[in-house]
Formats: sequence, C-alpha cells, structure tokens
Amino acid sequence: MAEPVLPPGLTAARLALARRHLEAIVGKDHVFFDDLDRDTYRDKFAIDDSHHIPLGAIAPETAAEVQAIVRVAAEYKLPIWPISRGKNLGYGGSAPELTGSMVVDLSRMRKIEVDVDNGTVLLEPGVGFYDLYDYLKAHKIPLWISCAANSWGSVIGNALDRGLGYTPYGENTTKLCGLEVVLPDGDLIRTGMGALTGSPTWQLYRYGFGPSWDQLFVQSNFGIVTKAGMWLMPEPENVMGMDLEFDRPDDLGPLIDALGPLRREGLLQQSPTIGNWLRAAAILTTRSQWTDKPGALSDDVIDAIRKKYHMGWWGVGLRLYGRKAVNEAAFPILENAMAALKPLSLKRTNWNRGEPIEDNPVMGVPSTFPLQNANWHGGRGGHVGFSPVLPQSGRLALEQFHRTYARYKEYGMDYQASFAFGERHLINVNALILNKDDPAFMKRVDPFLRTLIADSKAHGYGEYRTHLDYMDTVADTYDFNNHALRRLNEKVKNALDPAGVIAPGKSGIWPASYAKERGK
Amino acid sequence: MRRLLILAGLIPAVAAFAQGAPKVAALDGHALFEARCGMCHDAGGMGTGLLSRRVQPAELARRTDLQADFVVQAARMGIGNMPQITRGDVSDPELHAIARWLATPPDQRK
Repeated sequence: MAEPVLPPGLTAARLALARRHLEAIVGKDHVFFDDLDRDTYRDKFAIDDSHHIPLGAIAPETAAEVQAIVRVAAEYKLPIWPISRGKNLGYGGSAPELTGSMVVDLSRMRKIEVDVDNGTVLLEPGVGFYDLYDYLKAHKIPLWISCAANSWGSVIGNALDRGLGYTPYGENTTKLCGLEVVLPDGDLIRTGMGALTGSPTWQLYRYGFGPSWDQLFVQSNFGIVTKAGMWLMPEPENVMGMDLEFDRPDDLGPLIDALGPLRREGLLQQSPTIGNWLRAAAILTTRSQWTDKPGALSDDVIDAIRKKYHMGWWGVGLRLYGRKAVNEAAFPILENAMAALKPLSLKRTNWNRGEPIEDNPVMGVPSTFPLQNANWHGGRGGHVGFSPVLPQSGRLALEQFHRTYARYKEYGMDYQASFAFGERHLINVNALILNKDDPAFMKRVDPFLRTLIADSKAHGYGEYRTHLDYMDTVADTYDFNNHALRRLNEKVKNALDPAGVIAPGKSGIWPASYAKERGK
Repeated sequence: MRRLLILAGLIPAVAAFAQGAPKVAALDGHALFEARCGMCHDAGGMGTGLLSRRVQPAELARRTDLQADFVVQAARMGIGNMPQITRGDVSDPELHAIARWLATPPDQRK
C-alpha cells in the first residue's frame, strides 16, 4: 500500500476530517481514496509517471454538491482539480497539475436540455460527444455536433479547453453561450443572459449586460463550470467537398495561401485541417512493420508507407455545408483553386440529407479510432502535443514546418503534424507519439518539447493549449511587460480564491498559497 | 452505426427534451456496455481497431473467452493503450454488470 502524497500544508488528520465532510455531501460511494483510485485518475499518457499524482477523487452529481465540496476544500486547504470527463488525453487526462490535489470528477453530471427551435443545448460537464450525438439521434433532432477527433471526452470540457472540431462550428469555444459556475467561495453564478432569472435568452445572446465573463472561465482556475450553453449547427441539406493529397513537403505553403483567402471571405466556412502522412498512417499501421532502425524515419521508409496507403505528404479534406444550390455554386471555385495546385489526387465527396452518413467528425459523427496512433510503436504508447498559433501565411508556416521537422530529426522522433485553420490564424498541432517501453526515447521527450517551445517563442509564436508538464513554461512565453498578463491572472485568482484551492497551477496561474510550487 | 441502433432501441421516446443524457436501465450490462464502452469497443472504435491486430473477433461483445474478473481488472488498471476507467466514470456496480454481460457467451445472453 503506497502512502498517498499529501498536498503542501495538509496533514493526514485534517484530510481525514475533510473526507468525513465530503462523504456527507455525496455519499461514501462517490468518494474515491483507494490506491487503485489514485492509479486510475493518473495520466495514462504521462511523459514522467512520477508527476501529477492525485490524492483521490470525488464525484458529485449536482451543482449544489459542487458548491459544498468547494467550501470544504477552502476550509481545509485541500487543493481540488475539476475535470469534466478526464479524457483530455495528451494534455494530462484526469490528472491534476499539483500532486496531492483531489480530483473533482464531474462525469456523473450528465443532463442535456436541447432547444430544437433555436439550435442550442444546455449541457452538464459529464456529457460526452457520444452521449450528445446519441441523444440527438434518438430524439430525431436535426442538429449536428462539432466533435473532436477523439470524441470520448466531454463536450463542454473540450470547449472550455479551446478544443477543435471540423465542421463550420469547429472552433468550439466560440460556440459557448452562457455558463453556470461555482465560484471558489461556493457562490453560484450564471453568466450572460442567465444572470436574468428565468430568461429565455440565456443560450441565445452571449454578453448580457455589463462585462461578459464566459471566456474568463475558459482554460482558467477561477471557478467550476457546472452547466454551459452551446450552439449546434442545423443539419445541412447537403455536404459537398473533396479529399486532397499533395506529394511534396513544400506543397504546404501554396496550399495554405490558397485556402486562407477562401476561409476569410467565407466561401469555406469549416475549419479544415491539413495533416501529414503520419497523422493518417499511425492509425493504420505500426512502425515495426516498416523498419527496426531507431531515430526519425528515413525518406525511403516514408515513401514506402505513403505508396502502400496512397497518401500524399500532406492531405486535407474540404467540405461545403448547407443548401445544395449554394454548395453547387461554390464547389467549382474551390475545385479550381485546388486543381491549380496540382494535387497528387482529388477525390470528390457529396452527401445529401437522408443518405447514409460517413463515421467521421467532418460529418458531425463522433469517433475514437484516431487514438489508435498510440500504438504506433507497438507497445505502451500515448501522445503529447505541441501546438503554436501561426499566421495564415504559407511562407511562415513552411518556415515553422522546416524548423520543427529538423528538430524531430535531431531528437530522433517521427514527425506527425497538422495545420488547422481558424478564421484568421492557423494552429500547428504537432503530435509526438510516445514509446513508453523505451526509456532512452522517453528521456529525450522533455528536452525536445522544451526546445520546440523555445524555438517558437523566438519567432513570436505561443501555444494555444498544452500538457500539464508545460503549463508554467508556456505561460512564461506570454511575457509582454514583464509578464503583465500573468500578474493580472494571479490578482484575479487571489481575489476570487484566497485559499487558492481550485486547480492551482492551471494554465500557469498559481495562487499565493501555492506560489512555491510554480515550475516544479 | 451499430452502437446507436442498440442504444436508441433501449430509450423510451420522450416528449420533452429536458430529461437528461440517454439513461440506461439500472445495471443492464448490455445497455451499460453500449453507453460506456461501445465508442471504443464496437465496430470502428479505437479498441476494436487495435485488438483486431492480434485477436479475432476484435469486438468485445462477440468474444466468448472473456472472464468477468479480467474485464474488471483491464478496465480499472488499463491495458495496452486503453486508459484506466475511473469509478467516477463507471461505478463498481456498473462495471460488474458490464463484466458479467461480457463474460456470458453471446448465445446465452438474454
């Protein structure tokens, strides 16, 4: 029996007292402090398994229970780490930033309220993409979800971490409309129009009256979101598009320069993602089927894999969503722009309402198969992301690609990357597929990622989201005026949460009570 | 998709839409399996995709060699690339109902 690691300043006797209060709130069956629980709430994809160890977990079912838990945590100085469903694999999963934190697992909060006429939904954090998809289908509601490629996780958890989908509603955090939040003192607020008791416009107008707070609870530790409104896309009459493959690494630049203007003018309304060959191949095969040589894959191995699966060096799926007549007018413009780039292949796609639908997040259908990439090295795997925000410039994206690819080769890693379009930006999601059975490999991972962060910072690029291990490092790169933004974040944190117990260290925001833990 | 068809058949139609996420009948191992495990272990899921590389049939619901204790242990401790399943996500009674259902040969399930 391993002794639990207590958080700074908490004794075993005080923890025992706190547990009695917690068990009174949710019942003994929903308070988890066994050794096995501490293991199950750890990060499966951890780079170093000795970090981010939970003390235990508690699973409330109502906002009132969350309020009571927060009050106990503040009284006993027990740091808590809220998770929606804890499936944020690659970013820490269900594990806390600060070892010794108690996970507040909101998986049991699974209520769904759909407003069919207005195309909105009010969700609790435990609702996963599959739950919402199944609910809409079971009730024959003609609304589509915007899901992450790994759709196992929570809908609002993803939006609250600025996760991405692939339809025109793909920038999920922008589709949040109205939150219910438990504050660190146990108070309960509703943002936007939700502040007006009984308002039928809570999920319709984001801002309410006066300051608008929704984004303050995104990637932050200022409260625990217990409900969130989101907009859902009306089922389109038609989805028309094409799947494209491009042959050479340098085809990336012209492709970005062709897509950017179409995205900005609105002809293309989805958020297309350009992915490299490994992003697709790692799902289909394993490394050992192609080579037993260590270090980054050679060009001849890459060519052999691409040939077998008919892949380009880069691939992208483009889709037009909406009225068929409008799509038919827009399609030739898109096709001509792509044909001018001389792609390796261009495969048209066309779907009309009522036809069988492809199991693909591009079509609003959840999936988990992309997680098969964790098996690329054949044994215990996982992945971790490095995701700087770039301008929509082919030249700058190519430069970033070449810099990053050179680092992958230098550190002996297989390069997996994508470039995801927003309206004005690109997010360059680089995935590093872990080989947890190779200690020498794992030893290179941390210095490799820190080098990538430093390289990007030198060019003015910062990450949009990161794993627990790098929250302090990434926050450090946002350094204008000697880290004025961090000072503001921590002023707010200390004012709202004087005990500092909600998610200390989240996004590099450390309350005064745990300031010594920064950077550990 | 297979998972949805099974799940939809288990959910009574409701007039109002404020009734919560799809609820499964209490301790119905089959329904719980579809709601909690089907996304990875039905056709097209991550678990089925990876298991198909070394075992047939790869879909857990079609297997005839699963022991209940093994299912519980694999879920709680994780196995291969499958992450651990927490008690907040799937409670002990729910997991045992799923394990019992999976350990019952497909032709003997009710």
